[in-house]
Amino acid sequence: MSDESPKLEGPLPPAALDDPHLQPYAKHPEGAQLVAAVAMVVGFLGFIGFGVAYWVVASTQWEAITLGVGLLGLGFGVTAWGKYLMPQGPFVEERHEFHSTEAEREAMTAAITQRGGMVVKRRRLLGGLFLAGSTAMGIVLLFPLLRSLGPKPGTTLFETNWKKGSKLVTIDGRQVTVDDLEVGGVLTVFPQGYTGSSPDQVILLRLSNQLQPLAPPGRTSWGVAGYVAYSKMCTHLGCPVGLYQEQTQQLVCPCHQSIFNVLAGAVPEFGPAPRPLPQLPITVDSSGHLRATGGFNQAVGPGFWERP
Amino acid sequence: MIDETIDGTLRWVDDRLGVAKGGRTFLDKIFPDHWSFMLGEIALYSFVVLLATGVFLSLYYIPSAHEVVYHGTYRPLDGQRVSEAYASSVGLSFDVRSGLLMRQAHHWAADIFLGSIAVHMARVFFTGAFRKPREFNWIVGVTMLILGIVNGFLGYSLPDDLVSGTGIRIAYSIIESIPLVGSYLAFFVFGGNYPGSGVILARFFIIHVLIVPLILLGLLGAHLGLLVKQKHTQFPGKGKTEHNVVGSPMFPTFMAKTTGFLFIVTGVIFLLGGFAQINPIWQFGQYEPYQISYAVQPDWYMGWLDGALRIMPSWEWVGWGHTIPLEVFLPAVIFPGLIFNILLVWPFIETRHTKDLAYHNLLDRPRDRPKRTAAGAAMLMLLGMTFFASSTDVMANFFQLPLKSVLWFFRFAVVLAPIITYFLTYKICLEMRAAEGIGKRKRALIVERSTTGEYVTVESEPRPGDGSEELEAIPVPTFIDLVPPELATGEGVRRVMR
Amino acid sequence: MRRLFRARYLAPVAMAGCVGVVGLLSFASGATPADASPTTTLPKLTTTATTATPIGTPVRPSVSSIVKNAFPRSTGLYYVTLPTSFIAPGEALFAANCSSCHGPQALGTERAPNLQGLGSGTVDFWVSTGRMPLANSSVQATRKPPRFNRLQTLEIAAWVQSLTPGKGVQVPVVVTQGADLESGNTLFTLNCAACHTITGAGDALMEGAYAPSLHLATPTQIVEAIRSGPGNMPHFGPGNITDSEAREIAAYVHGVIQHPADPGGVGLGGIGPVGEGFVGLLLGVGVLMLVCFWIGERT
Repeated sequence: MSDESPKLEGPLPPAALDDPHLQPYAKHPEGAQLVAAVAMVVGFLGFIGFGVAYWVVASTQWEAITLGVGLLGLGFGVTAWGKYLMPQGPFVEERHEFHSTEAEREAMTAAITQRGGMVVKRRRLLGGLFLAGSTAMGIVLLFPLLRSLGPKPGTTLFETNWKKGSKLVTIDGRQVTVDDLEVGGVLTVFPQGYTGSSPDQVILLRLSNQLQPLAPPGRTSWGVAGYVAYSKMCTHLGCPVGLYQEQTQQLVCPCHQSIFNVLAGAVPEFGPAPRPLPQLPITVDSSGHLRATGGFNQAVGPGFWERP
Repeated sequence: MIDETIDGTLRWVDDRLGVAKGGRTFLDKIFPDHWSFMLGEIALYSFVVLLATGVFLSLYYIPSAHEVVYHGTYRPLDGQRVSEAYASSVGLSFDVRSGLLMRQAHHWAADIFLGSIAVHMARVFFTGAFRKPREFNWIVGVTMLILGIVNGFLGYSLPDDLVSGTGIRIAYSIIESIPLVGSYLAFFVFGGNYPGSGVILARFFIIHVLIVPLILLGLLGAHLGLLVKQKHTQFPGKGKTEHNVVGSPMFPTFMAKTTGFLFIVTGVIFLLGGFAQINPIWQFGQYEPYQISYAVQPDWYMGWLDGALRIMPSWEWVGWGHTIPLEVFLPAVIFPGLIFNILLVWPFIETRHTKDLAYHNLLDRPRDRPKRTAAGAAMLMLLGMTFFASSTDVMANFFQLPLKSVLWFFRFAVVLAPIITYFLTYKICLEMRAAEGIGKRKRALIVERSTTGEYVTVESEPRPGDGSEELEAIPVPTFIDLVPPELATGEGVRRVMR
Repeated sequence: MRRLFRARYLAPVAMAGCVGVVGLLSFASGATPADASPTTTLPKLTTTATTATPIGTPVRPSVSSIVKNAFPRSTGLYYVTLPTSFIAPGEALFAANCSSCHGPQALGTERAPNLQGLGSGTVDFWVSTGRMPLANSSVQATRKPPRFNRLQTLEIAAWVQSLTPGKGVQVPVVVTQGADLESGNTLFTLNCAACHTITGAGDALMEGAYAPSLHLATPTQIVEAIRSGPGNMPHFGPGNITDSEAREIAAYVHGVIQHPADPGGVGLGGIGPVGEGFVGLLLGVGVLMLVCFWIGERT
């Protein structure tokens, strides 16, 4: 590549002290020095202030203002020193080509191909075996790295602790009775013995006192006395669908605003959720407590490969 | 006296390490002065603050999901069963002196770190600094961006609070959505069905404080080393060519400015850390997988992913006994994968398109490469639209608009806005190139009136920042000549090969 | 006269004196209704914990709260039956301001719902938050400065209640002093945060509705809202959230949500990373870029 500017060789020229390049940038260097000095004094005092703030005051805001003033003071002082009081330049240095010459490159290629070729061509078997061995090592070392981390999913993603007869309880373990919720009420429930368990979380709604809510075919008996129960885990990404809009009868997931129609089996109406919230069939037992009559109608939570 | 001490010390070290020759070259190293070359320094110094405050935090934080009862200064939590991670984070905020300042400074530094990487990357992109021979450095930089985003997510998830825990739940589901291996990977990483066996916080912690910072430090060394070896790029200008670098020498000017800038960046971060509350985890409470808050957004650098998840229609593919949740897989895996891969290989995309294999040490004005500038602007608009789409509910509440309308707006905007931006930017670049002297700082014209009543215009003094432009660049001279010039040919004395 | 100071008389006289003093004090504290001409002075029906008390500082109870604590109720929340003297003025106020939409017997028209059976507490909530009378018809009524003063509000509520005596939500008196904030925290997070956000900032709902910010709600209004479920808010009855739990939620909202400790500085709106991102990018990176302008060249 051609070179336009002269290359520098030999000892560098000594500086002439009145060279404009060596002059400070500031028109009034003494004034600039004063400003920088004041800044640094402020900075120094700021750090002292931080010491006092730390030992005596112990308030986040006092610690921050003193530390901030200290750092900014010192910072502005040093920066002003560098910008205004040092030789303004501009200075130049040459870029030298850092890639090797053609001859050097050829020599390098030759070293690899000839020396290497000499060995490998005559010992191809060994080279191939080493490659095969290393590849095998690379593959099998992945096993502990990945597989030891955790268990296989198996059927876990399809199972919850809700079974026929499971009692609905609140997070405090209190059993839910049929009179607990008023019309328009909402409650988070779990199967007894599994309070707080993520896959088992259920949102219980009371839509009316007697009327059966609208339901998908075959699920008219899945609610009781106006109660209806859905999995609280959003089918999009698993956030708890805790937002119940009572007048529009919608469950809204707060994470990405998927809307589920409560009256129609929590079918998604809008937003990214692909599937309805799984429904839990419930009934009232003889003592007035709510119980499940089975598990959910499908696996809870977001989609995954094995879900049919 | 000082001179002799320095001389003696240098000789002692040089006897053992041979640093004098290379050291002189290093001290004379030239850094161009343009302000946009300092953006990477913001990132570098906020990373320094991250390391320093992070060391402090790591001495207090306990990465454990084991339940304890909180007893501390914050009364509304007193007596509540929380994880040790949460309890130690709240304890750090209330009961450790300077703890809250360090925690907030750490979090602000992370936001600023990634923000400054974004503007630095934009500068490098729009000026074409990634071209030969700097493609490696670009790749290293993009990798650092990805690692920084990951580490930020891991970091703010460590306190196990309600808001960040929701993000962890979403991360689990995203892993789960990968076809074929998703459920396996999710079970492996978390140790079981969500929330897992309780190991996730410890794993996040060790990745956040050890694995990623080690990689980042290595990449940072490579990034700076490449910069030293290949030297910095510069804008075309007076005396600046493809074969030189014009600016300030490393010592003393650049060192002074950069040290001062380190203090300033640190100062700004600590001022924010003490006066602008960030991530008040005590208000959010311990994470429970059946609890949620509304208006939960991730930190800004993850916002584009959250926005993509919100506006994606609910297309789920079901067939032959399997499900691919495209409404998760596409926006959360494929979309960022595409974006990052395009970013990584951009220098090669451009080379293939322009067929330009020459070395480039001089930068482009963005308007001189209208297609690249337009493509970059379109990419920024795409990311910007998905970013704003992550706060649809907050915007709907603030501007009193229906939520569905806002969501539909973004579904269209995310496709249309980048296209419109591309063409607009292209046109603007062409217009700007056609206009002479556009964007340049011009000398003011001062009108003077002579005593006979004539008006005369003269150019004003050069403005601050233009001063050194008026001088032709010279090599860094020796400042004070201690050895007479005729002895300058002696061995090891002041003779430097360039 | 000397007899009064003999031991056997001292105790009952002292007790009578105390009751008298305390009774006078309880009626003396608190503001009387502005432009009313009542013959009886009502005790304050809202809590008197007034000034902001950030968590961690000792709280000095007010006089009336001393009174309330001297005669503590079991749950800190009790419902009042409004005096019958309120009904007549309430009827007049209703006829003048509300009947044009709600009908003369509050049975509702095509413009406004039936109010019978909703209870005085429900009416008190809507009117004391200024949502009623409705300023303009939109999807959701917004809080605004109330049209009526406290007495008038209660009079209207009393009249609506009188149409269906005993039914619906009554006006509560909420004593937040001494409530368990940790329990309130847990209850709020589980029941309220999903709509109102964990910091009570409020957020947009579907179909043009929104969950309002909680920063202006009084404890009375909070309990009334919990019980009556206004608009899209679910109804939380005593079987779901007991009276004592409702009081704890109100105390948590009043004491913590409305007066957050905010030890870290400016709260940035309580909407989390949205506000933080703005500040970090504009103030953090932006300011530092301005510093770069200063330090570096501009050509």
